[in-house]
Amino acid sequence: MTEYVRAHLRQIVAIAATLVIVVPLAWMWQASRMPGSYSVMDMGYVDAGGGPVSGTGHHGDHAGTISVSDLVADTDRAADVVVELTATQGTVTLASGREVEGFTFNGTSPGPLIEATEGDLLEVRVHNEDVEDGISVHWHGVDVPNAEDGVAGVTQDAIGVGEDHVYRFVVDDPGSYWYHSHQMSHEQVIRGLFGPLVVKPAEPDSRVDVLAVTHTYNGTRTLNGEEGDVLVDASPGQVARVRVVNTDNGAVRVWSNAPYDVLAVDGRDVNEPSEVVGRRVAVPAGGRYDLEVEVPARIQIGGSTAIVLGEDPGPADEPGVDLDMLSYGQPATLPFDPTKPDRIFDYSMGRRPGFVDGKPGMWWSINGHLWPDVPMYLVDEGDVVLFRIENHSGEVHPMHLHGHHAVVISRDGEPATGSPWWVDSVDVENDETVEIAFVADNPGIWMDHCHNLKHAAQGLVAHLMYSGVTDPYRLGGDSGNEPE
Amino acid sequence: MRSAYRILAIIIAIEVVIQAMMIVFAVAGLGHWVDGGGTLDKAAFESEDLSFTGVAGFMVHGINGMMIIPLLGLALLVVSFFAKVPGGVKLAAIVLGSIVVQVFAGILGHDAPYIGMIHGLNAFVLFSAAVYAARTARTAGVETPTTVAA
Repeated sequence: MTEYVRAHLRQIVAIAATLVIVVPLAWMWQASRMPGSYSVMDMGYVDAGGGPVSGTGHHGDHAGTISVSDLVADTDRAADVVVELTATQGTVTLASGREVEGFTFNGTSPGPLIEATEGDLLEVRVHNEDVEDGISVHWHGVDVPNAEDGVAGVTQDAIGVGEDHVYRFVVDDPGSYWYHSHQMSHEQVIRGLFGPLVVKPAEPDSRVDVLAVTHTYNGTRTLNGEEGDVLVDASPGQVARVRVVNTDNGAVRVWSNAPYDVLAVDGRDVNEPSEVVGRRVAVPAGGRYDLEVEVPARIQIGGSTAIVLGEDPGPADEPGVDLDMLSYGQPATLPFDPTKPDRIFDYSMGRRPGFVDGKPGMWWSINGHLWPDVPMYLVDEGDVVLFRIENHSGEVHPMHLHGHHAVVISRDGEPATGSPWWVDSVDVENDETVEIAFVADNPGIWMDHCHNLKHAAQGLVAHLMYSGVTDPYRLGGDSGNEPE
Repeated sequence: MRSAYRILAIIIAIEVVIQAMMIVFAVAGLGHWVDGGGTLDKAAFESEDLSFTGVAGFMVHGINGMMIIPLLGLALLVVSFFAKVPGGVKLAAIVLGSIVVQVFAGILGHDAPYIGMIHGLNAFVLFSAAVYAARTARTAGVETPTTVAA
């Protein structure tokens, strides 16, 4: 035996060394493969953020459980606004006349503007005519009841070809929002399955209301489907509210030749905005900024498209510096105390080699783990929650939390000193730490993901889960639900 | 096994050349596109269908660099255990090590452009190591013909 070992020592060492490399890799590969279908509840590991883990929580007795599908708006209340949306697939003719392959709602992309007034109960009846992969509709920035959130496999099943789905929710907060598919979203959104949603204040606004939905179709930048300058008829001296809605996967810079105010961010008013000169705003992917300008003005949205109000004042030079929302506007009392959070969560993004669903690559990680082994952030209703979002991945990530608006507390340790800066979509740059806080006041299971939707499809997705909530839906190839 | 070692090393060297060609193709295409009036910002860059001649170069560079070449490097290391190339394991380790440096320098370069210079420089280290490994395997094959152990 020893003779044999001596004679074959080299091969034995070689085989052993090979096994040392191959076995862990094979094991990691095998472990990363996803079953045909799975529940979001089984994903990753629970992160209680220093709070209790029990299903009952400390805010009274929640001994029972509630299903995501039961978290709906008042079923007895009649709708104030009813909208019908039909999704189709095929050649899309944009407002500019350009034809692209993609998806439409009611034959157009962007889909029709849905308008409601604050306090309305909005009912949207969605029909999927022929979108093969199925669709869903997510109301980006509207803090809807969980069952209406429109995430395939988490809050509903994808709407198959020929199927219908009705969404019902109350719009309490006036502002600019948008809706988009959350089934195969990294393909369906970029190819046109989205539209704007505006909630008007109860008190009518005298400003000229201008929508500026920016989207890149097949490499061409558009505003409301138009290309280049979009002319808006307005008389000198009139004041306009320009609603910039970024439906792309990356930030868009916006600037003007005229001074402007930032009236609102992500559907929440800025407290006492002041005039901005010599600064541009960077609207993150999924984000909305409402700007106020006096006519005539040119609002440049990215290098190639602009809203021109009244007579064109000519080109506007791009300022070299972003407006810092951390110090913009005047402070106001917050409706909760973020200095005493019930739970503190870390959401640290990195990038490392590994396997996701059997595919090798350099993948996004959350707190060092690769999808699907990502944190399931557990909260109780009523908790004050602090999220510390860190980015060490080498690229910016526009982070989007469903179902809640959070207030930015600090960036890289620098506290916010301006107006409360409420967001549902916020850019976290590389090597940056952004702290946001919110009250867990909307029970359910909510996605908390990167809105560069390709990154979400690559696994940059986690969830916020309320204790006592169960999820009847399933994700994965066999379920037909692929939210990213 | 020795020829497997040699072929893998050659493929890695060729892949490095392809990487250089692809990224210049992409950057040149981008420059040409901007020249023609195209506007590039983050939103455009992240749009799936950004369409200019050479855009495929970015994709090929990414997939090759972050998936295929690292796997080739690992395969070379495994094969080196059996290939009986003098210094073959060490050379394969250098190749794999420079692949790791290359991947991280490539990613970090997105945020810190100066690291991009290391990415460019290290490409030559990787290429030379791969060519040297292939050459060593070939020479070893000529000088000491494989003998089958009883």
